[in-house]
Amino acid sequence: MKQRTLWSASLVAGLVVLAGCGSASDPDAASGDSQGKLVVWDWKSGDATASSYVKKAKADFAKRHPGVTVEFVAQPFEQYYTLLGAAIQAGKGPDVMLFNGGGQLRDRADSLLPLDEYVRDDRKRLAGWEAFTKDGKTYAAPVTLQGHPIYYNKSLYRKAGLDPEQPATSWDEFVADCRTITKATGARCFAQGNKEGIGIQFFLSGLGSGVLSPKEYDDWIAGRRDWSSPAVKRVFSLWKEADDKGLNNDGANSTAMFNDAFAVFQSNKAAHVIGLMSDVGHWKDFAEFLDADDVGVMKSPVVTAGATPRLPYDGGIGYAVAKRTKDPKVAADLVRSLSSTDALKSFHTDAGAIAADRTVDVSSAGPAVATIVSEIDRGKPALHVALSSKTVDLMGRLSQQLLSGSVTVDSAVEQLAASDRAG
Amino acid sequence: MLRLWPLGLGVNFSFTGDGEHNGATVGFDNYAELIDDPLFRTALRNVGLLVLLLPVAVAIPGLLATFIYLRVPGHRIFRSVYFFPAVLSPVIVGAIFNLLLAFDGPLNAVLGGSGLGPVDWLGDPDVAMFTVVGVHIWATSGMALVVFLAGFSTLDPALLDAARVDGASLARMIWHVIIPGVSRTIQFVVVTTMIGMLTSMFGLLYVMTSGGPEGSTYLPEYYIWVQQGQMSRPALASAASTVLFLVMLVVGLLQVGLLRRAGRED
Repeated sequence: MKQRTLWSASLVAGLVVLAGCGSASDPDAASGDSQGKLVVWDWKSGDATASSYVKKAKADFAKRHPGVTVEFVAQPFEQYYTLLGAAIQAGKGPDVMLFNGGGQLRDRADSLLPLDEYVRDDRKRLAGWEAFTKDGKTYAAPVTLQGHPIYYNKSLYRKAGLDPEQPATSWDEFVADCRTITKATGARCFAQGNKEGIGIQFFLSGLGSGVLSPKEYDDWIAGRRDWSSPAVKRVFSLWKEADDKGLNNDGANSTAMFNDAFAVFQSNKAAHVIGLMSDVGHWKDFAEFLDADDVGVMKSPVVTAGATPRLPYDGGIGYAVAKRTKDPKVAADLVRSLSSTDALKSFHTDAGAIAADRTVDVSSAGPAVATIVSEIDRGKPALHVALSSKTVDLMGRLSQQLLSGSVTVDSAVEQLAASDRAG
Repeated sequence: MLRLWPLGLGVNFSFTGDGEHNGATVGFDNYAELIDDPLFRTALRNVGLLVLLLPVAVAIPGLLATFIYLRVPGHRIFRSVYFFPAVLSPVIVGAIFNLLLAFDGPLNAVLGGSGLGPVDWLGDPDVAMFTVVGVHIWATSGMALVVFLAGFSTLDPALLDAARVDGASLARMIWHVIIPGVSRTIQFVVVTTMIGMLTSMFGLLYVMTSGGPEGSTYLPEYYIWVQQGQMSRPALASAASTVLFLVMLVVGLLQVGLLRRAGRED
């Protein structure tokens, strides 16, 4: 026994002596791809609703590069960033890869190719570039726009005797309307899912422009975040207050946003949900269960005087190129094909996503899309997208603690400020 | 070499930096960060909680196996029923219990109907870890039960008959005849159950709670996965992995010691 313990101790000691040489990732690994082939990783190409989009993008690319084959590898979204992170660290990742806008891309910008020189001609046609930008360099071309409109159920408004075309514009009116709806129909005000801590992201961005002043909002996005300001604290106290007042469905901390919270909204159990405008949890999903004309879109009610509610949105998903790819120009051309107008038109039509292309005609998509699109030019980047993955993760846990009462708003905001400062 | 080299790489990476410090030697910085991280401390505390819950995880299949061995009515059916969950994937088990334990799910409907009120099984930080461990025991106790039944087959039936003739109660028979008779089996089940609890709960945690609420159900394995994949911190994940390796080494050596002592007693 003693001898075995000594062996184990020697092994650990030996490993410690060797420690610190090398790194967990391998940025200098050479591309292992064969000439004439590009590998694309995403979580979309396996969906039936994206097949026409992929087909058109591939056809567009084949016209310019007939000798290059393109292989799409669809990964499960829940595992996507884990697999991608491991592949990048091993230096064996794909040439082109899909990213959500914001932290996940920015965290891996070191491994990506700046695309500015390749996408110059697409600048004006596409919207949402900021979410794929770090330190002034663009790392992906946007495919869809992702935002957080407040969807509401017009039929519940009608049943409660409210005018569905005139939703509340102030927080107090909004809460009063919710009370009326709950009394008349039994439906709660918000469908809220915070099991994975995602609910707070939607809440912060969905209602933030109704709480922060325009200057505070712009400062936040620019990285000058004043966590001690009363308005920032108000967002988090509002989050707690909404739950304390019974505006949310019961058990928000054990309700998954995807797809349980959205199911609460679709099944008439809640009058509002802060949803998405990409291809999940959005107008088209809801219209499969509610009448399409009953899916309303409203801006945030004004919570603090002087706030100017706007649609919060960013680039939703976009394709990036690995720094290690053999022929950057060809890979960048594939990204351009994946964000071409013809391909994005199919994505919008089949999946219901709000395409990043300003020239795609959405007039036949119904009233909810018309409202969203009409707000895009006045919209602002979403507040939570500006935060690092680490701070967003912490915010998720703190938001759960706020709902259970195990942390105060002041303490939560202090912890978030510290995490934000640390980057 | 194939076994030791990856292990060595993991330890090696734990002393390097992430992000802009990628590849640079940072000494024990990652370990210092782990100690400072309340989430990692919670994960380690939960390892301690699992050790404390180990007797329950062993007692449940032990008692069920005892009842089957003593031929309670329907024991043949029970033997199959208790074993079935052992062949289910943790992902499916988690999904099923997510439905059953939802705040507006059937279990809370029954509790509400009986006036006990709903329990937020997966949303209350004081309850969620016990819920996940309970489901893990439900899913894995079938295998331990089979091991117990195999151990019971070595019991001398004459001892049980003698106890019955002497008028011993069921509790006394279990305590004075069955437990001493299957002590080696109990030790084996303790060891395998403990390994299972420390290394096989990732799937259930991922599906049922994602480490929440409030990080209350984090285990080191889940922490490592989040840091490596979600936070892009492979070096920090390597440090956490090394800590878990050391914990498992200590637990493993204690288990070896326990088994050796049991062998000497025989």
